[in-house]
Amino acid sequence: MTFEVPDDLKYQESHEWARAADGTAKIGITDFAQDELGDIVFVELPDVGDDVSKGAEFGVVESIKAVSDLYAPVSGTVTAVNDQVFDAPELVNDDPYGDGWMLEVELTDESELDSLLTPDDYEDQIA
Amino acid sequence: MSDSATPGSPFAPHTPDETQAMLDVLGVASEEDLFDIPDDVAFDGTFGIPQRSEQSVRARADKMLNRNANLTEFLGRGHYSHYIPSLVDNLSIRSEFLTSYTQYQPEVAQGFLQVLFEYQSMLAELTGLEIANCSMYDAATALGEAATLANRLRKTSGHRVLVPKAISVGRRDVLENYVDGSEMVVESYAMDDGNADLDVLTDLVDDDVVMIYAENPTVRGTIEEGLAKLGKLAHDNDAIFTLGSDPVALSLLEKPSDVGADVVVGDASTLGIPTSFGMGLGIFACREDFLRQVPGRLVGISEDSAGMRAYTLTLQTREQHIRRERATSNICSNQAWVALRAAMHIAMLGPDGLVDLARDCVTRPEELAERLDDISGIQAPVHDRYHFREFVAHTDQPAKAIVSDLAGKGFAVHRVGEHEVQVCVTETNAIAVDEFVAAFEEVA
Repeated sequence: MTFEVPDDLKYQESHEWARAADGTAKIGITDFAQDELGDIVFVELPDVGDDVSKGAEFGVVESIKAVSDLYAPVSGTVTAVNDQVFDAPELVNDDPYGDGWMLEVELTDESELDSLLTPDDYEDQIA
Repeated sequence: MSDSATPGSPFAPHTPDETQAMLDVLGVASEEDLFDIPDDVAFDGTFGIPQRSEQSVRARADKMLNRNANLTEFLGRGHYSHYIPSLVDNLSIRSEFLTSYTQYQPEVAQGFLQVLFEYQSMLAELTGLEIANCSMYDAATALGEAATLANRLRKTSGHRVLVPKAISVGRRDVLENYVDGSEMVVESYAMDDGNADLDVLTDLVDDDVVMIYAENPTVRGTIEEGLAKLGKLAHDNDAIFTLGSDPVALSLLEKPSDVGADVVVGDASTLGIPTSFGMGLGIFACREDFLRQVPGRLVGISEDSAGMRAYTLTLQTREQHIRRERATSNICSNQAWVALRAAMHIAMLGPDGLVDLARDCVTRPEELAERLDDISGIQAPVHDRYHFREFVAHTDQPAKAIVSDLAGKGFAVHRVGEHEVQVCVTETNAIAVDEFVAAFEEVA
């Protein structure tokens, strides 16, 4: 089984991804993570305006077989939340890097991105 | 009979051979060598209880029970006596029901799960709220859980919980226990002639409040008249509005959902179980928005592999046996059998029977209060309100003497002040009302 690991993203060991652009980052969970969890039935996310910090919990994802905490790959203030995953959590399974994104944050420290895994590093981790 | 190949104890799966093998590996002679239990607390194999035959134990128990004062009770304040159809006893003691087993395995518990689902459905219908759990221990526990729920939901600046000044001591104490160690604080708001004083409450409420709690009926038996205003006041301040009630009252009084209640707590043991056991059955119902935050067990409907309707415990990730550190409550239990009896009682009354019973709970105390008020030295009711089941009466004589004199004549009432007694009347003691009034005339 091979999993999608897009080249334009940075990864965290706990299977979150970050797509950085212009001082902001979109955040979600990886293809590997959604596959491990199985059918996702519920996603709990912070509100716009909340602060998240790198390595700390920012939400919960629940599947038919497990519940996992979500850990922020970067620190910042939440500028957008993907409301669609509340009504259709299966989006995270179907399109984890696209329609299944979770948060957008305004970065407080762009250098944090450097400490994340590269696509190659992450591929090695899940291999 | 046990040999070396069968378990040495009914509570442990290990055979003597296996136990010996483990001891050999550990290099100790016996299991006792693994523990350091002081002699003075170690069980020596004797209980120190004299042996008696069953017959003599029964005789002795009967003798002790006969020392009880055999009073006709006009007591309420949280525990109410309603006539329980005998069918409830007969059905609820079926062995499939009379079990402490939690319904974790739906494949062996469809019957009980269906009963609990029906119970939840009845409460959802009575409260007008979408969700009801299949019970907490009692009303006090449910109130504590409502406060912690409100605190989790509301991102306000403070953590104040407002409760009526007239509230049962037990409920207030349990609530205080619940908030102890958290940032929450419990404050009382004043009453106005037995109901919530809305002016006082309006002054008390600000952004720091996470929950306003009110009861209908109140602990002194009055029916609340300002619930809709109370609900609006809570919502205008982004606070949760929690209402305390019971299934009989809910069938007749304002529907909680119509007055803006977010959560309904209370005691459903007013039905299905006698007062003699002092047992509660905590109601917990709330709006669907709070689904992931509900404490306790929820039964849901699903389908089995054959497409047949099937019941199951659901959304268990809220519960502490799944994620202890993230659980909504530290309670992993409920009052399943009591809920079953309550559901049976409600089902036997039917919607109309329940409302008829509730109507009696309004007219009986009204009629009795009127008769007591005619007695010189008694003013009843104290509050110029409608009442449910019970009311407070003023006594010119010290209430302590009235209570004691009434007990001498075979009647029990609550003393609730220096010159106040509380009287509760339902269909179970109504037959004694004439004698009760006559006794009151003599002692007033």
